[in-house]
Amino acid sequence: MKKLLALSTAIALISGAAYAQDKTLTISVYSFGMDAMKAAIFDPFEEVCGCDVVIETGNSVERMAKIEANAANPVIDVAVMSAHDALALSRKGLWQSLDISKIPSHAELYESAKDPIGDHMAVGYGFYATSIVYRSDLVEINSWSDLLSDELKGRVALPNITGTQGPLTLMMLGQSLGYDDLTFSDTIDAIGESADDIVTFYNRSSELAQLMLQEEVIAAPVGRFAWSRFSGADLPFKWAEPSEGQTGGMNVMLMTKDNGNEELAHQFINYWLSNEVQTRVAELKLDSPANATVVVSDEIAESLTYGADLINSLTMLDPGAIIDNRDAWLERWNEKVVN
Amino acid sequence: MFQNNREGLALALPAAIFTALFFLLPVGFLLSEAFKVDGMWSMQGYFDFAIKPLNQTVFLRTLKLGFLVALTSAIIGYACAFSIVNLEGKSRGRVFGLVVLPLMISPVARTYAWIVILGRTGIVNDAILGLGLSDTPIRILFTETAVFLGLLQLFLPLMIISLVSAMENLPKDVIPAARVLGANWLQVFTKVILPLTKDGLVMGGTLVFTGSLTAYITPAILGGSKVLMLETLLYQRVNVANDFVSAGIIATILIIMSFSANLLLKRIAKARS
Repeated sequence: MKKLLALSTAIALISGAAYAQDKTLTISVYSFGMDAMKAAIFDPFEEVCGCDVVIETGNSVERMAKIEANAANPVIDVAVMSAHDALALSRKGLWQSLDISKIPSHAELYESAKDPIGDHMAVGYGFYATSIVYRSDLVEINSWSDLLSDELKGRVALPNITGTQGPLTLMMLGQSLGYDDLTFSDTIDAIGESADDIVTFYNRSSELAQLMLQEEVIAAPVGRFAWSRFSGADLPFKWAEPSEGQTGGMNVMLMTKDNGNEELAHQFINYWLSNEVQTRVAELKLDSPANATVVVSDEIAESLTYGADLINSLTMLDPGAIIDNRDAWLERWNEKVVN
Repeated sequence: MFQNNREGLALALPAAIFTALFFLLPVGFLLSEAFKVDGMWSMQGYFDFAIKPLNQTVFLRTLKLGFLVALTSAIIGYACAFSIVNLEGKSRGRVFGLVVLPLMISPVARTYAWIVILGRTGIVNDAILGLGLSDTPIRILFTETAVFLGLLQLFLPLMIISLVSAMENLPKDVIPAARVLGANWLQVFTKVILPLTKDGLVMGGTLVFTGSLTAYITPAILGGSKVLMLETLLYQRVNVANDFVSAGIIATILIIMSFSANLLLKRIAKARS
């Protein structure tokens, strides 16, 4: 009995001590540029808060599944993801509203980043533009419809519909072809008719970069975050400014419901959105700032989606429309394009 | 070897328990999801899967490519194995080493090499343009041809190894004997070599066919999302749609296809003898 008592006291002491030190923030982030992100954001934050930051990475589906599976007892405090993935989980009630009074940097954000999915569930922390990268010595791109032109037959790649860039491309291509509805049926059918002339539907920008450097593909829509893969190459690549404009998207930061770590989570979100951190991240070309007060040199701006004019000009796809239509798009795509 | 079966069974027990606990049980759990609809046992998932045109296309493509790769590797494999067993001592070891060598290189590296070889500026297109067979480069990447070539190169060594070991057991004098008795080479192959090496063919055929069905990297890199195979479709269902039920259905279909191929080949081999 004595032994048992001693043991339980010891356990109580250990867990008590652990509780006292237990200032840990668990975040779920993209694995892209992890070492640099850690050095620019997560490590400095540990010093600011005097806490441990535990980083979880993986692709969006894995990370979303983990958050959903642990909804009753959240293991993640703060997560970053695309606005439409965030909205999908928001509809399942997995997030809690942010207390804007605890995020002073919020006031400095671009208007569209302040409350992207409603009810202050999320804040945007980075933008990206999407347009067409092309070989300026071989073709001229003035419109999204040029993607299906005779000139590009057998030399063009499109992003796969399952990725983030796919639906954006469908929207812009549809607009250029005169189709305006969000079912994208006519646009998908048009792609289906030209499927044999499209080299592939790529899944990752690294995959596309290889195909373009190997001269297999001479034009393809891609996110601006991948531009550095092309701008530094020996071949003459150019970023198109189509007459219909550029599209783009936003990544957002969120806090899981009832995670019990709200103070630290707000502190972290504010830190990431602050001018200091957003500038540092922008200068490392890791992400394009959502904080409107960030000022970077022209050379840095060239690699990013930077500036109020550009960001306000982007035609974005409503996150709700993506979630509501995604299954139907995929169904039609599978039937008309890859079948 | 043992005085009673018990000792033998006791020795096999640790491996059997390990396999049951860490392989059969988890796989059983995973695949059982594919036989449930709303928590009730049902085959509905399979019917829904089977009626979708895309799934039909992908299934038939996988079957077709698996069959073609196995057939082609058997044809090339017999020729290679025949010449290898006819080599003497050191040269046999060296040539056999060359056959095994690709197996020591990662499939990712081998498959990426094909991107360079089959691309518009690769050696295949250079040769086609150089010989004047075409005015413009031919698109081979992201077609069934590319996947076929990649899979063939990936699994041919397995067929050759199986056939070499089968042919090594072939009595040295049966071929000269058949020739002396007036058989032509086709008859020698069909009436002598084939029946005596059928076990090697069954083994190699199963390895190549199942390998082709279940390969992921090669179809993913050389076929992309335009030439979907069952494996790449499975990956898409899990990783894009988080749809473990469809993934379980595809996995079950792949397992059934692999077992059926083995049984079928064995049956054919038996019928011939």
